[in-house]
Amino acid sequence: MIEKLFEIILVSPFIWMSLLAMIFFLRIKINERLLSESVRLFCLYMFFTTLMLFVTTLIHSPSFLLLDLEDWIHVGDYHFKIRFIVDLLGATYAVLTTSLIGIIIKFSRNYLHKEEGYFRFIFLLSTLMFGLLIVSFARSLDLLFVGWELVGTASVLLISYFHDKPRPVSHAIKAMVTYRICDMGILAAAAWSHLQFHSTDFVIFPKMLHADPHSFGPVVVGFFVLWASLGKAGQLPMSSWLPAAMEGPTPSSAIFYGALSVHLGPFLLLRFYDYFSHFPSLLVVVGMIGAASAFYATLVGRTRSDAKTMLAYATISQVGIIYVEIALGFQNLALFHMVTHASLRTYQFLRSSSLIQDFVENPMVEHHKFIRRGFFFEKFISQSLREKLFVHALHGFHLDFFTKKIIEAFLFPMKCLINIEDKLMIFDTYLLKLILRKTK
Amino acid sequence: MLEQLISNIRKKLPIQNPLHSFVHNNILLMFEHMDFHEAVSEAGKLYKARPYLEIYKYLEKFDENKITQTDIRRSIGHYLGKYKAIESLSLLGLTPEDYFYRLMFSKLSFNDDEIQPVLSNSILWENCLKKMENQSLNLGRSVRYWRGKEYWEKYHNESYVLSFHPFMIRLISSFLDQGQSYWPNPFLDKSFWDFFLFDVLSLKGVSEGWIEKLVEKTEASKNLGPSEVIIKELNLKNIPEDVWESYLLEILFDLKGWAGMVNKLETEPEQATVKAPNIKLLDFMAAFLLMESSIDTYHSESASIDLQMIHGRVEKIELRSFQLALALYQITESFCLHEEWMMNVETQKLLNMIDEIDQSELRDRVRLWHEAYEHHFHREALEAVSGHVFKIKNDDIKTYAQILFCIDDREESMRRYVEETDPGIETFGVVGFFGIDMKFSGLGHSRSIPQCPPVVVPSRSIKEVPLSDSTTFKKWNTYQGLLDLILYYQSRTLIRGFLSTLILGLLSFIPMSIQVFFPRKSRFFGKKILNLLSQGPKTEIHLERGEGDYGYTKKEMASMVEAILRMIGIPKLAPLVLVMGHGSSSNNNPFKQAYGCGACGGNAGMPNTRAFVKMANDKLVRSELRKIGIEIPDETWFVGALHDTCTDEVQFLDEGQIPESHYSSLDKLKQSLIRASKLNALERCQRFDTFIKHSPDEALGHVKERANDLAQPRPEYGHSSNALAVVGNREMTKGLFMNRRSFLLSYDWKSDPDGSILKNVVLGGIPVAVNINMDYYFSSVDNDHFGCGSKLPLNMTSLLGVMTGSMSDLRIGLARQMVEIHEPIRNMTIIEAPLPRVRDLFNSHSRLRNILYNHWMRLAVFDPIDQKWWVFGHENYEELHVEHLPLSVFKSSHSYVSFQREDNFVEIHK
Repeated sequence: MIEKLFEIILVSPFIWMSLLAMIFFLRIKINERLLSESVRLFCLYMFFTTLMLFVTTLIHSPSFLLLDLEDWIHVGDYHFKIRFIVDLLGATYAVLTTSLIGIIIKFSRNYLHKEEGYFRFIFLLSTLMFGLLIVSFARSLDLLFVGWELVGTASVLLISYFHDKPRPVSHAIKAMVTYRICDMGILAAAAWSHLQFHSTDFVIFPKMLHADPHSFGPVVVGFFVLWASLGKAGQLPMSSWLPAAMEGPTPSSAIFYGALSVHLGPFLLLRFYDYFSHFPSLLVVVGMIGAASAFYATLVGRTRSDAKTMLAYATISQVGIIYVEIALGFQNLALFHMVTHASLRTYQFLRSSSLIQDFVENPMVEHHKFIRRGFFFEKFISQSLREKLFVHALHGFHLDFFTKKIIEAFLFPMKCLINIEDKLMIFDTYLLKLILRKTK
Repeated sequence: MLEQLISNIRKKLPIQNPLHSFVHNNILLMFEHMDFHEAVSEAGKLYKARPYLEIYKYLEKFDENKITQTDIRRSIGHYLGKYKAIESLSLLGLTPEDYFYRLMFSKLSFNDDEIQPVLSNSILWENCLKKMENQSLNLGRSVRYWRGKEYWEKYHNESYVLSFHPFMIRLISSFLDQGQSYWPNPFLDKSFWDFFLFDVLSLKGVSEGWIEKLVEKTEASKNLGPSEVIIKELNLKNIPEDVWESYLLEILFDLKGWAGMVNKLETEPEQATVKAPNIKLLDFMAAFLLMESSIDTYHSESASIDLQMIHGRVEKIELRSFQLALALYQITESFCLHEEWMMNVETQKLLNMIDEIDQSELRDRVRLWHEAYEHHFHREALEAVSGHVFKIKNDDIKTYAQILFCIDDREESMRRYVEETDPGIETFGVVGFFGIDMKFSGLGHSRSIPQCPPVVVPSRSIKEVPLSDSTTFKKWNTYQGLLDLILYYQSRTLIRGFLSTLILGLLSFIPMSIQVFFPRKSRFFGKKILNLLSQGPKTEIHLERGEGDYGYTKKEMASMVEAILRMIGIPKLAPLVLVMGHGSSSNNNPFKQAYGCGACGGNAGMPNTRAFVKMANDKLVRSELRKIGIEIPDETWFVGALHDTCTDEVQFLDEGQIPESHYSSLDKLKQSLIRASKLNALERCQRFDTFIKHSPDEALGHVKERANDLAQPRPEYGHSSNALAVVGNREMTKGLFMNRRSFLLSYDWKSDPDGSILKNVVLGGIPVAVNINMDYYFSSVDNDHFGCGSKLPLNMTSLLGVMTGSMSDLRIGLARQMVEIHEPIRNMTIIEAPLPRVRDLFNSHSRLRNILYNHWMRLAVFDPIDQKWWVFGHENYEELHVEHLPLSVFKSSHSYVSFQREDNFVEIHK
């Protein structure tokens, strides 16, 4: 029965997405009310099916279910199997996904009313849902990559929702470049593990490790996975795109950067936890990155005075803490933290327009908060140091500058190669001319 | 020198308040000394905005018959009263009227493209080519640029929006922050200039590109004051002194919202949300100029361009013989001229003419269309008001209640429905602050708020005092406030954020789901919980004269009541007089203040209503009034009420004090008001697309839902479609359906021999109406530049305003969703009073004179003595002969509304 349920959960968003895509390509004008009504029903349906799955998994916990579908590709001996895993982690994330997307869809019904891009918005949210469900249940890196990319694409396209303005587009490109750089991590990990283990199945990985505990390869795979997770989670050194991504309509910022997309980083680590746990050194790195990001983001966030950027930094810092939790081995705490954090941030994003009203109506604002806010640990720091800290935090500790320098350093050998190639080309053409002249 | 410069600059910056005290203003208030068309053209250049609708929208309206030939002819005549057609008109052989008429329908576009369109008339084309052989012309609209910006953006792949602005926005938003960020800016007790220097110098070694140049430049001038830096930089650029102002303005207008806010907080620090920082426009400008110079230097060095070539360069649009011939061809076709008309004309004259026509096309065409478009509506309105015949008279029905509404255009429909449902009620329109110019502090609020129009400086402060023990209320109020703040700040930090996330995270699902899925219930739940904790005590407004500027004496109260009674013509007072203030509730809405009562500074009118009622019911005040000859009958009782223009609920205030003898009529009044508000909700719902149900009850439910919906960008449409103001007896407009487009001010010319009451009425209402009208006008003609843009990506900043997306200029004006159904038409005021009285009034008051003579509004006067209609032309009043077709007649507003026609005016007659 659970197999059937699972198939329904995975197949229905696919059908729904294809339906929307078809409507789009056939250029059928669809009534806004009809669209919003049907997407609402769809979300309700998805929520209840995932909830059922979650409850079933909870009852059967901790044992989990492995599903093998048909081969997708097979070349010679090689079989690319579509394989899923249904466990508490996946089911929890799936239920979080459907419930939050449901709320966002209902919210957007009025919020994006009369909006030209409403259809686009709904389509991208559906893509997000499908992508996240794949990521939640995928059992191999190859399959996970499919969902991962769907989420990334939807995210980039929603940042540039107002694509007639320069800033959204440029920030969308910034996000896209970060995604691309980090997604290479998954590809590299997949390629390496194909080489090493002849499979990318998470469940098989740890077993394989026992066979060959001392080789260098597995650590590299782990490192690549960690690298891949940094981009979506906005952890150091990939933090600067996230605050800049707040260009789309508020509900899309809420769902992507307050809740679902940003937690894919820790989710990936949790998926690989069994694997990572064999390499304490990797876990130390995870913890250090998390702690550094959390500290960095909280410092920078403290200087931000606009609602959304501030929330973005607050999100990075909490996700950093989740990384630390994972490093310390508190898997369940990390999962719980992810869920609570996602819902709290979504709510804060959605309500962010009330801020001025809240403050003006608050009787306590003028009394003492304005003076006392921001001096908790800070009072132990001297004024001049505080000033320095403030201006550097205001500029995000020049993260963009340093990353650019690092990238330039990487590019330097490439540039040399390009130079050499250019010179060779000139030499070539010279030779060619000589030859041509002679043949004449 | 520099002071003069800065004070000139101040006058042109945007004047918007921080959002918490948003008031509707003519955003071009400082341009009112200029003629409307001239002013908007100049401001349009500064704001980089289009001051009218796009031409194609007018053409669409012409096709839909919303602009007729008559409108066009008349508006051309009107336009010619002030503006001339081109100099070389005689060459074309047209009258000015014909010239303008053909210009409006012309398809001219002169530019330096090389593309040849398909030309049907080959003989004409040959003629044009022959005539324009070897000629060339620099069009007069060539621009002289003093800034490098356009050049760098065009040829050097620079984008100020992405490089220059973020740097400045980060600094200024942090410095102006009113408490949104967790760390207050540590430089707050120094100046912005110090902050800027410190910040830029800290970038040494970690910057590149233009910022590196900025560090160098700042280092070189760190010992200079901001004004010296400005002068030094301007001199370095060799910018002539007479363009300093426009040069600096142009730079500041890159971030016009922030610049305006800096100016606002410097000149009116009391407007700050919490506390204005030590900010000076001078500091801001110096920092801005230094950055501009660094970008210039950076680009000129990296591309080795001499900066002297950049500053003051002229970008010409040069037409060569081919393009000139094309221009001539277009002129001939558009103005329907003979194909050989140009053969005998001197070529030089032709060239001049082409240049003139080019400028005239850009300038006059859209103005003419706009005039025609406005004329259409104004004509319709005048015909409706003057020809409105079925004036409801209910002499046979005894008036048992009178209601004083606010003059607000949104109350037009409400008044109509009240009168229709219950003929025993008489309504009046007075300015919604009821003449009480107070600063009010409510119970449980820390700040006191001016409850009067922005042009009035509050003279007194008034408090709300509890009648019963309020300690628990205050305690809970404090706790709640503290809790909110703690949650706000701490959930965004690291460790405390971690704890609060773990504890509150899952809980937040509950309020989120309730607010998103059951918006109508959410407020109900919230109230229940609050009531459970503490019941707010019963309160009253304490009015008695106290120390300092507190309170009013009985005499002052009497004179305030007198002023209002005189405005409505001291009618025979009914046993019940309802004083109806208005406010608007909405959720998650940064522009909440824009929906409130404009006469109460954007707040709800409740305190004023309560205060007025208390004054008018006071025995001593009544005896004072008796002394000056105003008799309020003992059986007359004033009752306060508040109309929520968003939920359409009417809430009765201080009900406990109403004597029992009035209970029965009060009940009757309540029933009528409930019925009227339902019908009013239904009429409003016709404008919302999401509403499909059709019963008045459901309509009321729908508008309530809108007010409480977290996700609703359009809780109500506010003043959208306002375009009129009628000053006069209600008989003028009673029974006329005006589609919520008119402010209605009560004025009885008979009881005002010297015109002093007219002055009060007009001064209290018309400037407010014009402000609202112009605010909507500009936000709707070019929402991106005069307005705030879409509401969807808005981002609250510094507790002062909103930005678009992660970072942008501080937005000014109204959001797109608020003005999308507005028709940008200048206000027309119709006054029923003897002409000399009106003329004297408008001549004697400087702002009224400015807005009238410079056409920021239109004025029509109905002189009741000789029953003539007058309209203000350019310099004087012209008699108007209105010819009118009878309006359609409907039984009730409700039947018309369910009929769903598009007429603005119909008669309501049973």
